[in-house]
Amino acid sequence: MTSMRTRSFIAIGLLPTLGIFIFFVIVPIVWSAYYGFFDWKGIGPMKFIGLNNYAEVLQDPLFWKSFKNNLLIVAASVFGQVPIALLLSLVLLKNGWFQKFIRASIFMPMVLSSVVVGIIWGYIYHPQIGVLNFLLDSLGLGSWKMQWLSDPSVSMYAIMVPIIWLNVGPYLVMFIAALQNIPSEIDDAAQIDGAHGSRKLFSIKLPMIWDTIKVAVVLCISGSLKAFDLIYVMTGGGPAHSTELLASYMYNNTFSIYRFGYGSAVSTMIVVISLIMVAGSQYLMKSKK
Amino acid sequence: MSAPMTRPLQPASSSRSEAGLPRFRWLKSKLIGAALTVYALVTLYPLLWLFISALKTNEEFFSRPFGLPSHWNWSNFSRAWEVAEMGRAYVNSFFVTILSLILTLVLGALSGYVLSRFQFRGKLLVMGVFMLGMLIPIHSTLVPLFILMNKIHILNTYAALIMPYTAFELPIAIFICVAYMNSFPKEVEEAAQIDGSGYWGIFFRMMLPLALPALATVGILAFLRYWNDFSFALVFMSDPKLKTLPLSLSVFATGYSTDYKLTMAAMALAVIPTIIVYLIFQEQVMKGMTAGAVKG
Amino acid sequence: MKKRMALVVIAALLISVLAACGGTNDKGTAGEGEKPAGGEKVKLSLWHNFTGDDLRAQTMRSIIEQYQKDHPNVTLDIQAIPPDGYKTRLKTVAAAGEMPDVFILSNGSMTQEFSAAGLIQPVNELIDSHQDWKDGFMPNSFDAFTVDGKIYSAPMGLSPTSILYYNKSILEQNGLTVPKTWDELMNAISVLKGKGITPIALGNKAAWLAQSSIFSSLADRVTGTEWFLKAVKQDGASFTDPEFVQALTYMQDLGKAGAFQDGFNAIDNTQMEQMFAQGKAAMMIDGGWALSNLASNANAEALEQMGATVLPTIPGGKGEPNTLSGVVGVGMGLGKDATGTKKDAAFELIYAMSGPDAQKRTLESNQLVSYKVELDKSKVSPIFSEVYELVNNVKLTPVYDGKLTSAGGEAVNNGLQELLMGGKPEDIAKKIQDAQSKALGQ
Repeated sequence: MTSMRTRSFIAIGLLPTLGIFIFFVIVPIVWSAYYGFFDWKGIGPMKFIGLNNYAEVLQDPLFWKSFKNNLLIVAASVFGQVPIALLLSLVLLKNGWFQKFIRASIFMPMVLSSVVVGIIWGYIYHPQIGVLNFLLDSLGLGSWKMQWLSDPSVSMYAIMVPIIWLNVGPYLVMFIAALQNIPSEIDDAAQIDGAHGSRKLFSIKLPMIWDTIKVAVVLCISGSLKAFDLIYVMTGGGPAHSTELLASYMYNNTFSIYRFGYGSAVSTMIVVISLIMVAGSQYLMKSKK
Repeated sequence: MSAPMTRPLQPASSSRSEAGLPRFRWLKSKLIGAALTVYALVTLYPLLWLFISALKTNEEFFSRPFGLPSHWNWSNFSRAWEVAEMGRAYVNSFFVTILSLILTLVLGALSGYVLSRFQFRGKLLVMGVFMLGMLIPIHSTLVPLFILMNKIHILNTYAALIMPYTAFELPIAIFICVAYMNSFPKEVEEAAQIDGSGYWGIFFRMMLPLALPALATVGILAFLRYWNDFSFALVFMSDPKLKTLPLSLSVFATGYSTDYKLTMAAMALAVIPTIIVYLIFQEQVMKGMTAGAVKG
Repeated sequence: MKKRMALVVIAALLISVLAACGGTNDKGTAGEGEKPAGGEKVKLSLWHNFTGDDLRAQTMRSIIEQYQKDHPNVTLDIQAIPPDGYKTRLKTVAAAGEMPDVFILSNGSMTQEFSAAGLIQPVNELIDSHQDWKDGFMPNSFDAFTVDGKIYSAPMGLSPTSILYYNKSILEQNGLTVPKTWDELMNAISVLKGKGITPIALGNKAAWLAQSSIFSSLADRVTGTEWFLKAVKQDGASFTDPEFVQALTYMQDLGKAGAFQDGFNAIDNTQMEQMFAQGKAAMMIDGGWALSNLASNANAEALEQMGATVLPTIPGGKGEPNTLSGVVGVGMGLGKDATGTKKDAAFELIYAMSGPDAQKRTLESNQLVSYKVELDKSKVSPIFSEVYELVNNVKLTPVYDGKLTSAGGEAVNNGLQELLMGGKPEDIAKKIQDAQSKALGQ
């Protein structure tokens, strides 16, 4: 029974947003996918080559390597950032000065430029004067010392740590906001029913904020597939492409080596991959509610 | 939803009735507190490091990365401010960020309300379209956006940043708002409808205040994004008078070398507003419970 | 009522954002071909990346200011773009077909691609009209800016890329002399390594350094310049040829001998220069750009200890021994839309920024130039004068990424990282060959 009034409200509520969004986001996305059909250097004449770029993307081992590295980052984000942020949000829900201080501190890496974060973590992992190797030495674990960022067998994992550390803050804020929204009566009622501790958490709180957790996972996936600035500062995608990610692979092709059409095809592939992963994650999380 | 507010700020977790062994619980909470403190110091340290590094010489920056400067070079700040023309960039950044923020919050909350509380045909499609916007790496949209905005003659105006910023942040804003509003009980609107409020009334009087924590969350994320964006600011703003802060922060790197003392000083100066904004919005995030209880 | 109010508020917001902003500024998207009224007023857009606080940037900015004072009829629309973002911005704008009138143009692949797309105009006319200026340049200075006989810019600097910097006191203390041959170098490495001193500092995080500084000269020693130029064109030589594989093997031997410190792929060139300046390594193979870094980041005592020479000779190599790889710096390019009086004003601006006077001032701000200028040694550091002498007395050979296509250059960069991590020279040679031939469309 959507009345005229309701319908016009829906239209007015959505149309300006959709208008701006379609014009400034969707049109460029489609446009970029269109460039993907051309052999184009970014300047000069364009040559239509059909699906060749897209086929080449799928055949390039480097694309798949970047994809694999990116999956690691997605996994680290989804299974690192989200649970840590959730745990912290439960502990830090009070509004005392102590909790405020801790919450603010945890958020602070976010306000810093990735250049600063990259430099600091570069010194932590530094092969000669690194804090980590120094710590290992002084703990008598000298044999565990590594060239954290230049040894391809560990560099991706070494990079995951700062990525998790850096991004916990926003999810913490999101979860705190969601947890605040649980009406106290529900909490009280559960209390009277005798639900405590972990049971209360799983039967009451998690379902109440499940939608927010789902959004957090989507943000995690899309953010991880687009991101490369921290890695760019720390390793530049190297050595020898060992820490290359999809977004840096796309950027290199587009702006460094005059393969604009190909870079556009890669970016369309990134959208497609993200879409599949987001849809998959939402499907997996649906059953729980 | 008419129960009076009994425990406005009582935390949802840990209440005394759970306590088995008081002493054990005491110890546990102290341990957690200590662990949290250590973690907080680890996350806070880089900020401190930034400000200390901003006061060093370039030689000290490399020779003693974690040490204190032998002489506190306060002049780094004024030099960075001057060379990077940060004064004007500050004003521009504020202008662009705040306008984009208002637009994002108003449109995001309104669309979030519609998508969360109304059923209509095509809703899934609309949600799906918004989802797309979160997935594209922005670098590949630079050229199409440039051509597009050149055609409608808004390049070199503040709108060339405000519109794309808003458009790219809207999906996140909408998804956070929808998720948050989904958990409001139905009674919220029903009560209001009995009062005779129309949809706009419900939106302004009920939804906006209730969704304050979600909007504050969106606000924090959006502010950071707008304040720190380099790519759009680099490509769409060519008039030096309209330059925003992130461009000022990278003027000291020549490709072969970086003048770290001035880079750090400029970054330290640019980071201060984000800290203040975070602290202001954090207060709003925490207001949810009180607001919810009063309205209900 | 409320509904209408809300609508009005939203509409007003949207309109005010668009309109208020639209109103602030409407002038000058790059290259609006406008007609100067009566040949008087000219509007010219200038893009540069001299944004920092270093001497060179300050010098260039003051030259531009001087030009503005001298040309009151020319309104410069100056865009100082952060160097890190300069190429991204230029390429985006070029993709949309909009070009600035005068802008910093890189030589090599950028000049070739831009001229092929008709985005830039030759400046032969300007160069020919100042014969003494033209003659002042070092031999071959215009080559990297020349496509089909047309010259697109004049270089404003010179980057020798493979200077062997050494620390005199460390070598002396260990009874070593400056290595002149490959064997001497290998011997020095083993002696230094035995004493726990890093023989050669390397910071190859950005991947181009090993290519540009070490390999460009090392490979030239082995293969000779002629072979390389043929391989670049894929005309009678291929990167899978044995001489190239041998060059890669020499490079790998250097790594295997422990010439570089651990984790060299994780630090950047600035950190490497700092390491050398602090006396933590006996040598460093780096370009002329290190000079301004060292001048501003190292103390006078450390600068005194530094010496500079060319890479050692290689037994049986086909290349000339006493050479340095090097490439001319960027120049000011002329965009396609600068015509008529605009072009005249643009020529004057280009001359002001790269003419004899500008070259002299650039040299005095610790940046080598590809122009014959007498150096006033009191104005620069001793190591700078030493490198200046060196560059004026040896022949320059090509730099790899200056001649290869961008994709080929990338392949060499990443290939060398792989090589130094133990990759097989033959495999890497193949990858480089594939990338170069594909980029040339063969």
